Amino acid sequence: MTECSYSQVKKHRFERMAEASKDHFQLNALHDNIYKRVIQLAIENVSKEYGPPPCSFSFFVTGSAGRLEQSIWSDQDHGLIYHHPDLDMKSYFLILGKEISKGLYQVGYPYCDGGVMSSNPMWCKSISEWEVQLNRWIEESSWESIRYLLIFLDARILYGTDNDVHLLKNLIFQKVNTNQLMNKFLNNTMFYKKGINVLGMLLPETHGQHAGALNIKEIGLFPYVNALRLIAIKEKMSETSTLLRLESISETMSSVIDKPLYTKQFLKLLNYRLLLCDQTDYDSGHYLSLKRLTKEQTKDVKDMIKHGAALFAVVRKLLEKEDSYGAK
Amino acid sequence: MDTAFLLNSMWVMLGAVLVILMIGGFILLETGSTRMKNAGHIAGKTILTFSIGSVIFWAVGFGLIFGKGNSLLGFSDFFYSGYDIDGMSLSGAVFFLFQLAFAGISLTIAFGGFAERAKLSAYLVFAVLFSVIVYPPIAHWIWGGGWLAEHGKQDFAGSTVVHLTGAMASLAATIILKPRIGKYNKDGSANNLAGHNQVFTALSVLLLWVGWFGFNAGSTLSVDAGFFGFVAVNTNLAAAAGTVAAMIISWIVLGKADVPMMLNGALAGLVAITASCAFVETWASVVIGFIAGILVFYSIRFFEKMKIDDPIAALSVHGTAGVWGTLSTGFFATKELATVGQPGLFYGGGLHQLGVQAMGVVVCGAFAFIVSFILLSIMKAAMNGLRVTEEEEIIGLDMSEHGSYGYPELVKVEQKLKA
Repeated sequence: MTECSYSQVKKHRFERMAEASKDHFQLNALHDNIYKRVIQLAIENVSKEYGPPPCSFSFFVTGSAGRLEQSIWSDQDHGLIYHHPDLDMKSYFLILGKEISKGLYQVGYPYCDGGVMSSNPMWCKSISEWEVQLNRWIEESSWESIRYLLIFLDARILYGTDNDVHLLKNLIFQKVNTNQLMNKFLNNTMFYKKGINVLGMLLPETHGQHAGALNIKEIGLFPYVNALRLIAIKEKMSETSTLLRLESISETMSSVIDKPLYTKQFLKLLNYRLLLCDQTDYDSGHYLSLKRLTKEQTKDVKDMIKHGAALFAVVRKLLEKEDSYGAK
Repeated sequence: MDTAFLLNSMWVMLGAVLVILMIGGFILLETGSTRMKNAGHIAGKTILTFSIGSVIFWAVGFGLIFGKGNSLLGFSDFFYSGYDIDGMSLSGAVFFLFQLAFAGISLTIAFGGFAERAKLSAYLVFAVLFSVIVYPPIAHWIWGGGWLAEHGKQDFAGSTVVHLTGAMASLAATIILKPRIGKYNKDGSANNLAGHNQVFTALSVLLLWVGWFGFNAGSTLSVDAGFFGFVAVNTNLAAAAGTVAAMIISWIVLGKADVPMMLNGALAGLVAITASCAFVETWASVVIGFIAGILVFYSIRFFEKMKIDDPIAALSVHGTAGVWGTLSTGFFATKELATVGQPGLFYGGGLHQLGVQAMGVVVCGAFAFIVSFILLSIMKAAMNGLRVTEEEEIIGLDMSEHGSYGYPELVKVEQKLKA
């Protein structure tokens, strides 16, 4: 029965994918829709065996799903927040988390290598436990815990109430000025793969299966994503998508960041990935073969990369400047 | 006995020791640039083939190069017994050992193209054939009073004789052996079969760099006027310039400061200056080394694109840089320093010397390649193939050719993980 239902969702996914994959926003709406169906099915399945959820809860996605920036293939990134602090609840929600994860896997979303899934106790907690965990991460401020905080900042509710995530994110926002947190967020996202050499030539992979193709995710998207996440933290935004974050930039920030330009470039980048990358599997979906590009397209790609790097540089400068004032 | 004779002998003996120590450099270079499962084999066969080369050099090599004969080959002094050589102001035995070391280096370079896939027996047989049929004629033509020496070919310490000859044999071997399993994908793209130890590779470069003082400065064969110091300075400068150039070009083109490329740049600088170290001014050795560092970068990419799998970049480091080094004297040799041949293009010598150098490169390169190719083809037919079986290649030549791994614990752990 279970298998059959997930397989129906999988069928639905493949039926709709061809149409949805022509447009970035439609595609992400479809992903949301599939996630929601899987969550519903998982709740039903777990309820049959263990009864209905013992308290209310929220389910969030993060990573590219959280940012509404998934391509055709995407792996799982999600977590769960339940509203009762009772320890007994934990085992129930972990079972539910595992069921959701299994369901998502069955409909075509590979498991997350980093374990950011509601089947993992670290990402499946009561709201008070979440508060403790976030505070601990802030306190620790290690490279790893900073990374977790950054992942959490891209969280977006798919089931339950938005308020849960807002509340928890506010907890981070309030402490941004302590422990040099902002500086650590910056340092954690500063390194990205170089896409253009000093001669202005693109730098595709030189070896391996994707030789001759550009890793558009790391080279192209990451600088925009990371820059806007930093701005979102600084401006305490609740938006998770890079495009919405751009739109929500404050007046003061708009004077240094050319909103229309970066919006246009980032959207273009998403479309290049969606329409021109080899979408046969998750891995290949991030590689843009340079051989297939026309001269204009190549120039476009260079522009998108250059603007991404420039945007990140502006944000970095902004934050470092503030940091040095702060130090004084 | 006169002091000059003794000092010359001492100096060249030191040179011979340094050059033989370069074999150690090659062991580190080749093992560092290849995979763990072949490390013991590569280290061991290098010592073994140098030993074979030594015996052959004593029996016939030396006589074919330096014996009395015609402009193509020498025909006396076989089974050399340690006597002094007429007209030489140093011990004959020292001179012999010095020359033996050079032959050994050329052989070791040739085997670069065999790496990670040739049978041990192929090494053994080719060590003999190369040491009799490939190396001696070229060495005789240029250093043994042969026909290229008569033209005034400048190759002070062997960019052509040692490096190009070895590289051409290596090229023939890589073509005949074909790429290693997993080097190329079905769509023609290349995989990076990264070497297992960059520290070995870096140490090898340092060891070779120091050894090169024996190679180049030792080739003065005398301490007269302390000229060896000048040669050593040129050598050092070219190596340094090659390193810097390869680092700059890989940063400019690839956007990263690639360590193996930088190390290849150092070696390319050394190979290039080998021909010209005694004939050019110090500034020119910087230019020669710098250009070699750039050339080696493009050469490595070119060979990879041509689907020639050269695990330790022998073709580019010794071949391309060897060609450039040989030609470089045609540009930079000065009037005062050109004790052999004519000054180069930039010193009023016109195109004459460049022509001689180019002819030397073409003839020696073609000879080494064609003869090696024929010899290896015959060996392939006679020995039922030169390459180990697929299974042997996958488990590694340490196991297939010698029965034990160079890193027993680590390779076992790796295999367990894969299973």
